[in-house]
Amino acid sequence: MAKTYHRPTLLDHVRTRYFATRLDTAMSVLFGAITLWILWSLLNWAVLDAVFSAADKELCGHDAGACWSVIDARWRLILFGLYPFEEQWRSAIACAAIVLVTALSCVPWFWNARRLPVLWLTGFAVFYVLMAGGYFGLKEIPPQSWGGLSLTIFVFAAVAIIGMPLSIVFALLRRSELPWIARTMGLVIDTIRSLPLLSIMFTFAIVLPFVLPGWLIGDKLYRVIVGYALFFACYQAEIIRGGIQALPAGQEEAAKALGMSYWHRISYIVLPQAFRNALPPTINQFVITFKETSLVVIIGFFDVMASGNAAFGTAEWSFAHIEVYSFVALIFFVFVFALSRYGAYLERRLAVASR
Amino acid sequence: MPATDTAVRIADMDKYYGSFHALKNINLDIRKGEKIVVCGPSGSGKSTLIRCINKLEDYHAGSINVLGTELDDNLDHIDEIRRETGMVFQHFNLFPHMTILENCTLAPILVRKQKREEAEAVAMEYLHKVKIPEQADKFPGQLSGGQQQRVAIARALCMKPEIMLFDEPTSALDPEMISEVLDVMVSLAEDGMTMVCVTHEMGFARQVADRVIFMADGEIVEQGTPEQFFDNPQNERTRTFLSQVLGH
Repeated sequence: MAKTYHRPTLLDHVRTRYFATRLDTAMSVLFGAITLWILWSLLNWAVLDAVFSAADKELCGHDAGACWSVIDARWRLILFGLYPFEEQWRSAIACAAIVLVTALSCVPWFWNARRLPVLWLTGFAVFYVLMAGGYFGLKEIPPQSWGGLSLTIFVFAAVAIIGMPLSIVFALLRRSELPWIARTMGLVIDTIRSLPLLSIMFTFAIVLPFVLPGWLIGDKLYRVIVGYALFFACYQAEIIRGGIQALPAGQEEAAKALGMSYWHRISYIVLPQAFRNALPPTINQFVITFKETSLVVIIGFFDVMASGNAAFGTAEWSFAHIEVYSFVALIFFVFVFALSRYGAYLERRLAVASR
Repeated sequence: MPATDTAVRIADMDKYYGSFHALKNINLDIRKGEKIVVCGPSGSGKSTLIRCINKLEDYHAGSINVLGTELDDNLDHIDEIRRETGMVFQHFNLFPHMTILENCTLAPILVRKQKREEAEAVAMEYLHKVKIPEQADKFPGQLSGGQQQRVAIARALCMKPEIMLFDEPTSALDPEMISEVLDVMVSLAEDGMTMVCVTHEMGFARQVADRVIFMADGEIVEQGTPEQFFDNPQNERTRTFLSQVLGH
């Protein structure tokens, strides 16, 4: 008798994967029930029993639901920190500009050694002029008053823009054919990597003004960004170096044999392939960098995390810390999740071109 | 100064890997248009020899002159010589992140300063010559080994080199793909290209070579026309080698 092949149905899958034995069935029912209960409680807390409007604040606490009134009342503080209230539209547009630039850099048309830097420098300039003011009749607002999500994005974008080119330079220097350059660079990278980020930020914010000449000191925020970028560059340089070393030696040899100069070999053959190899750890590094921007709070800046703390810091809202933290967590989640999804998309895309 | 019809002159050349004497007192003159096949057992220094001609390897004594340019530490001289010598590798070494056409146009645009349209026209011409114009927009990973090696030959030709160096071009290929690559090399030889080929394809050597060079232990042991070399080898080591490669 000929056997016929039945395509397994969804029901077959469920049966074989979750209810194959008596133990399987028991476990599936138990954990299924627990999962449902957790989801139901969350839904109750976050939506069904929750209070949403700031005007309904008195209702909070009656149904044991979330009190989102605190977000409704304090979202501007969380997003914009101490930025002057009537100027907060600037902060909002500035954030939108960086998000737009990030989204645009996902478009392959911009993947080019000229277009990408131009795009980022333009976006960053727009952000800076809007935030700092002093031009085009905009009121000047010093970095001490920046805060919230805008500050987080500013620190992240600035660190990436300074740190990325720096990391490429570091990686290439460490691979220099001159041993004294390669060794010195290696020593610098290993030294900075062995220091905690916190201590580097402290050093740049507090100690550096004592040793630098006056004209070089600049604002505390910029010093911290430079220190953070240096830290970022040292880690990223090693990631890029790993990507370079994964290349077969034949790639550079073929480019040499074609008469290509060092810079042509680096920019057309070595780095494009190295970045491909290094993509997963690079995205990882960006995710870590985004989250660790919160450390600027220790030298007195109000990033989105710190302004979240401030949002429930008054007696009026002191009970609502869970709601505020959930909101801040959501903000981080949206950014970081988008970042890692984009990384996954890039990997799929690049996989087509390099088998 | 070598005579004007000399393509490569290697004189009293030595090379070391650490304390290992890889090439011993090599003397070799190659005329323009001459086709040379270099053969010998593995580890005899034949690949190292042709990799010295475009300075993918350093040498430590003696001199190499390519097309009238002295191959020394002067970077301009190295660039000059690399522009005029094309090289084909055992493992193809195509750039995997670029299409076939981009592989062929990159160096002409960057190094020869050609316009893109011009470079693409030249590239298509050579892709026709190696019989794969229809693959121009694919990536190297989508091609078979034989096709990739033919692209690698086209890529080198796009620089309009005076000399072509082949470093075991068929050794990494499946047997059924060897002839398609050799056919391209034969037609290149018929066009009068100066060629130096490290290869174990003795049929190709007999058909195309003006001179066969046999190397062992870093030395040129014997050289001669294919007839002399295959039918009347003088040196004992040559005879042993030939019986091994032709014996089955």
